[in-house]
Amino acid sequence: MSYLNNPAVVMDNGTGLTKLGFAGNDSPSWIFPTAIANAASSNAKNTASSSSTGGAGLAASSTGGSSAASNPYFTNATSTTNFGNLTTASLMSNNLSGKRGTEDLDFYIGNEALTASQGANYSLNYPIRHGQVENWDHMERFWENSIFKYLRTEPEDHFFLLTEPPLNPPENREQVAEIFFESFNCAGLYIAVQAVLALAASWTSSKVVDRSLTGTVIDSGDGVTHVIPVAEGYVIGSALKNIPIAGRDITQFIQSLLRERGEVDTSLRTAERIKQEYCYVCPDIVKEFNKFDRDAEKFAQYVVENQDKTRQKVVDIGYERFLAPEIFFNPEIASSDFLTPLPTVLDQTIQACPIDVRKGLYNNIVLSGGSTMFKDFGRRLQRDLKSIVNNRIAETERLSGARSTGVDVQVISHRKQRNAVWFGGSLLAQTPEFKGYCHTKKDYEEYGPEIVRNFSLFNMV
Amino acid sequence: MLHLQPQNILIQKTLSEAFDALNKGTSLTLDRIISDFDYTTFHVSNSPEDKSILLLSIRTKAWQSVQKCQGSIGLLDYLQSKYQGCSGAAISPQPEMGYDLTLQITLSQLTGESLVQLSLLKTIVLSYPFQLAFDEFAQLSSTPVPVEGTPPVSNTLHTVQYRDEESLFIKPASDRITVIFETSFQDETDKIFGKVFLQEFVDARKRNRSIQSAPQVLFSHEPPLELQHQIQPRSDPSKRFVTFVLFPRHFQTQELQFNSVAQLILFRNYFHYHIKCSKAYMHSRMRFRVDSFIKVLNRAKVDEEDDSKGDSSVHAQPTRRTITGRKMVY
Amino acid sequence: MSQSLRPYLTAVRYSLEAALTLSNFSSQEVERHNRPEVEVPNTSAELLLQPIHISRNENEQVLIESSVNSVRVSIKVKQADEIEQILVHKFTRFLEQRAESFYILRRSPMPGFSISFLITNKHTETMKTGKLVDFIIEFMEEVDKEISEMKLFLNARARFVAEAYLDQFVY
Repeated sequence: MSYLNNPAVVMDNGTGLTKLGFAGNDSPSWIFPTAIANAASSNAKNTASSSSTGGAGLAASSTGGSSAASNPYFTNATSTTNFGNLTTASLMSNNLSGKRGTEDLDFYIGNEALTASQGANYSLNYPIRHGQVENWDHMERFWENSIFKYLRTEPEDHFFLLTEPPLNPPENREQVAEIFFESFNCAGLYIAVQAVLALAASWTSSKVVDRSLTGTVIDSGDGVTHVIPVAEGYVIGSALKNIPIAGRDITQFIQSLLRERGEVDTSLRTAERIKQEYCYVCPDIVKEFNKFDRDAEKFAQYVVENQDKTRQKVVDIGYERFLAPEIFFNPEIASSDFLTPLPTVLDQTIQACPIDVRKGLYNNIVLSGGSTMFKDFGRRLQRDLKSIVNNRIAETERLSGARSTGVDVQVISHRKQRNAVWFGGSLLAQTPEFKGYCHTKKDYEEYGPEIVRNFSLFNMV
Repeated sequence: MLHLQPQNILIQKTLSEAFDALNKGTSLTLDRIISDFDYTTFHVSNSPEDKSILLLSIRTKAWQSVQKCQGSIGLLDYLQSKYQGCSGAAISPQPEMGYDLTLQITLSQLTGESLVQLSLLKTIVLSYPFQLAFDEFAQLSSTPVPVEGTPPVSNTLHTVQYRDEESLFIKPASDRITVIFETSFQDETDKIFGKVFLQEFVDARKRNRSIQSAPQVLFSHEPPLELQHQIQPRSDPSKRFVTFVLFPRHFQTQELQFNSVAQLILFRNYFHYHIKCSKAYMHSRMRFRVDSFIKVLNRAKVDEEDDSKGDSSVHAQPTRRTITGRKMVY
Repeated sequence: MSQSLRPYLTAVRYSLEAALTLSNFSSQEVERHNRPEVEVPNTSAELLLQPIHISRNENEQVLIESSVNSVRVSIKVKQADEIEQILVHKFTRFLEQRAESFYILRRSPMPGFSISFLITNKHTETMKTGKLVDFIIEFMEEVDKEISEMKLFLNARARFVAEAYLDQFVY
């Protein structure tokens, strides 16, 4: 069968962003919000989208290189929050408004959904909440459009690698299998736990010597930060911890700092850009404050691009450069209800794991997700965790009198961190063994949906 | 989404990203696979010498059979002519290893127009046998019909094997062009849904006056007459044949030709896409039904809260609980 | 509702009401086991009652097998052609996949039937018998309706899709 030569499709549907692409690529082909805009009601007014016919779609969508920058299709948004001059975008017509009985075809996903929902005819939905699929109807259509419009693949010809959050109930897997095998007839399916893929992604780092699937994953996206211990490919569910501090909180913290100072532009968008471009993690806040006071070079300015480019707004950036990511390490500066620093949570998590894997978990702490991208984040985490661990060892040695062999703490950051989960999936799905680990359509027909409750693990050498 | 687009928006996006990056002075390093329907894979990569030159390679299942089509113009010449006017793109003399055709893209010369043209690469490759058929039609129809006897007949039959199990055939004649699709289904459900859909394709033109001028569609279990010497009858009993009869009005101008071809190439994908959509829709319906059935069933459940309340009013005695909050059972 | 459907459903309703008189019954063979007697190969004939077969026509039948502590109701849903066949198959499988939340649904139907329910004395103790019967009757009505609606949808969608495709060739 020649579908064996087709690249596998890797889809990572997160709460905020969906990453789609083909195995073997180094980055996802599409990154867009996991959002779907459905036709609000069947009596939709005949507006906007009836001007161009299907055949003329060519002309309508002939976005050239020069205009592409302003076109939301072609931007790989790195934020979940709705930004960009989307109002100017033109949606590809689908000629469906007003036709009855076809409401299920009248929807948009991703950035187009954000655009469409600004009109009156569409309502925006996020089918995934807290990592898990909430609305299967919407999710099914989201996948339908992802596959046929954005990836342009015939699912019958491709194998699929999907991701799931840790502690996903097996019933959800069965639902996924039902959709992928029955609706889409996909050739084969593998569902991997996100944390495990993030571990696999770290194999590209030079610091990793053995390709083991044991380690602690810190996955920090837009909504929530997970600390997930993984032993030999299996998530230790009982020890897993969540921290309610993530990208969105950092952005809001920056925004509040800007507001306090009364900057000219305090929009969420500006705060987000400042976070992405200027923030870093410092080794010591007090020293960093002093450095800023001595050296004016440290202060930066961010120029807000106005849409009509008539007036330029200049926003000064000060201490938030290092204060914003600091909320991971000193949460009390931003939040009042969650006060445990990330290194402490990490230590508690590992201490809650079986004693025989703890060394491996300390030794291989892997970062994943956009909010771990701050400069020196990994270094600071490693230092703080090391001091916690060393204090404990010293205490134990004092009390017991025995010598400890010591615990090696190592935090691994690598270049693929932002889309680590997707990248890990891409790495695994391009191996020749991958197809052997998948469940095929034939297996599904023979055993039914419960077949996806078990997947054999990749045991890579 | 109702119609599939003939162009590949991922190519469009990737190239325009590279273009933008170059304009900003940071050229992208690309080594990406992009896929398309019917076993088609593209590869976008930087040229080894110059980062501002991209290589776009295509590998498609149909290539071999398309290459075999004989006609007035060779495949490479045809593609050359298609990409001549396309600024910034040129066909590379040597295709990349493992790929069928490689285009060299000079990013700095890229225009919006050529971007679209590049994203249509697969459609353009597949349009070659159609173009041959159009040319032959023009030739046949211009030869004067003898007063006595039959109009000239062509023996040409272009075969495009675009999938493992399915091929399409193009037969030019002096007054029409016949395009025949083989279809076969892997899945039992698809087979039956497919039958319903195909029947509607056949009937649509008869029923709806506004599309009377569309090509005639026929559907048969046996290979149509045009193919009979080509395929052993009933070589594969599960195969069905869908015939589109294109009349001159469907390919009068270049533009119409391209439009017709682009749609025909997407026929199978369109058709299968909609089968999948209707299955997805049925899933939504069934989910709704399950919920409503469960609601009915839950009505049957004896509500325990109600019971305890009823009890307490009769016995005038509050429910007793242990210190841990459990109910006492007597 | 067509003429003959009502008597059919009435017959099912009365038979079910009569059959759903269940009591707790411990297994006679295995100590401390309590199993639905209708489901286990049974040596003691006194635990099983005569099954009732209600048939409207050869496509629509109900089989009620009762025992001392459980009743198995199997329904054959009308399937006039292969489209309906596949739709019924899809639908019942979809339901069985979610049998957990249906309490009384059997995960696989009895051979020759589309879908089966298993009602035990546990169910009749926690649910109102009358409402359970209502559920089964409503289920039978709704399934027929749903199947025919899905079939109509399929035809309508196929027509729409075909016309939309051919519409692109109208110049």
